[in-house]
Amino acid sequence: MSTGVVSTGGAVYDRGYRPYDGPLGGRRAATTALYRTSLRRAIGLRRPWRQKVAPFVLLTIAVLPAVINVGIAYLTRDSPSPDFSFFTYREYVGVSSALLLFVALVAPDLVCPDRRQRVLPLIFARPVTGADYALAKVGAIFTCVFAFSFLPQVVLYVGHLLVSKGALDYLRANTAVLWQVPVAVALLALFYALLGVAVASLSGRRIVAGATLLGITLVSSTVAAILVDANRVRPGPGHGNPAGLLNILALPLYVRDLVFLGHLSPDSPLSGVTGGGVLAVLCYLAVVLGCAAVLLVRYRSAEL
Amino acid sequence: MTSIVRARGLTKRYPGVTALDGVDLDLPAGRVGLVGANGAGKTTLFRLLLGLCRPDAGTIEVFGIPVADDPISVRSRIGYMPEHDCLPLDQTAADVVATFGELGGLPVRAARQRASEVLDLVGLDEARFRPVGGFSTGMRQRTKLAQAIVADPKLVLLDEPTAGLDPSGREEMLALVARLSGFGIAVVLATHLLDDVARVCDHVVMLDAGRLVTDAPTTSLLRQTGTVTVDVGPGAAPALTAALAGRGLQVGTDEVGLLEVTVATDADLDAIRDVVSDLGLPLHRLTNRLTSLDEVFVHRAPAS
Repeated sequence: MSTGVVSTGGAVYDRGYRPYDGPLGGRRAATTALYRTSLRRAIGLRRPWRQKVAPFVLLTIAVLPAVINVGIAYLTRDSPSPDFSFFTYREYVGVSSALLLFVALVAPDLVCPDRRQRVLPLIFARPVTGADYALAKVGAIFTCVFAFSFLPQVVLYVGHLLVSKGALDYLRANTAVLWQVPVAVALLALFYALLGVAVASLSGRRIVAGATLLGITLVSSTVAAILVDANRVRPGPGHGNPAGLLNILALPLYVRDLVFLGHLSPDSPLSGVTGGGVLAVLCYLAVVLGCAAVLLVRYRSAEL
Repeated sequence: MTSIVRARGLTKRYPGVTALDGVDLDLPAGRVGLVGANGAGKTTLFRLLLGLCRPDAGTIEVFGIPVADDPISVRSRIGYMPEHDCLPLDQTAADVVATFGELGGLPVRAARQRASEVLDLVGLDEARFRPVGGFSTGMRQRTKLAQAIVADPKLVLLDEPTAGLDPSGREEMLALVARLSGFGIAVVLATHLLDDVARVCDHVVMLDAGRLVTDAPTTSLLRQTGTVTVDVGPGAAPALTAALAGRGLQVGTDEVGLLEVTVATDADLDAIRDVVSDLGLPLHRLTNRLTSLDEVFVHRAPAS
């Protein structure tokens, strides 16, 4: 539909409205679009520079130890110091509190404005269900946390591979981490993403949601630390306490230990607890499934 | 006449109130006005059409698809413009409309291209890279309309599209709505402004307290009243009134002071012409007065 009004100097066109006759996706395409939009928002793309600071500061904080570690390995490659021990791939999974801060900042930013600015009815008027919405939001956070946790491991691995005197020997000695790292990082990212989005879904205010997430983790870790120390039979490794399960942030780290070691670390607060590994996995699953249930109920009720 | 929406015995109850009570509807393609006072059930009907809530009784089909069985397919054919604020305020109009295009199933590139086109169509081409938070009410309404039509829906539901607009903004919005059916998009326009419906819609559905009052073509409701409106300019009305009364005609005035003369036969019209001529008055207007939708509504829904 195009009509032209010709004048001496040129033509003005009313392009009007053109019906769309190309391919049109359904529910999966809509969910993917929501995921893509959320991911862009999480890492600050198409947003003011202030919104880009948090993800890239996090990435720097996460990668820096690996770079330093590789740098020291390079400088001391001819005269290794017995006083310096490089951290392991296991230790490098989930130790940075910057991940928690990132989730506390970004998860509320992805879901709270949709509720507060009443965008949800508009979203659910498209071919998207409440479960699709939750999946897209969790998927976006998962992708960020996974990338920011996995990339430093890649830097660490490739760095040590290049610095070591025998690259093939290093590769042979560290083959297992090639599956252990992605699995452990994925379990960590899933935990953080579900917890972050579930807590954020309960409030329309970003500041409240972020503070609630940090509060939950802070209180749970403090209470767990107090109870573990108070009930420890004897100090030191191997004399842990089931109260360590109350530390919500430690749950993915217990699971990480199981992935890397096949058992809990001797330094773990659960070390020495009968069936500690099983209890840790059960608690991890309880939190993950609980958060998923919260999200499904929350957004099912928003949809209907 | 093919129905695009068909409802039978549609009932929806909320605690303490029946929003819709056994409504039977057959909405044709074209522009349908859904009118009623606040709380009449208009928004509830929209939510039922989108599958965003379930009826307590009855069935509803859109394009022959039962909404209860396949709400996703129905939503992929419908665009929705809610009454309330529903736009993400920190995003540009182009991003908002493109995002909702993607959520409607458009591929990424097509969504951005169509976002640009429909923003041009609604008159926001120059403002499309500005954040929605800085928009006036009229611009936000246009953005809401743009997101509703960006994915080329077969039906668009407009909930009070002229709410909060100044007179010129209202004129422009109604002109846009009037153009939609020319693009092959059926329109259901929910409003409590009966004048908007009389000007734009070719079919009217009236709801009152959840009950169907009228479901009929607009032309069948706007009947001749047996009176004519006579405009002879300011200051001449008293003389004309006296002269017409002298000929045995019944004369009154409408809400803006124009004379309304009851006519039974063509001879009465001849008498009006002759009197105006005899008095030497300019005859600006002599028209049949039609019933207004307000009169139809008040007459058929006395309870409201």
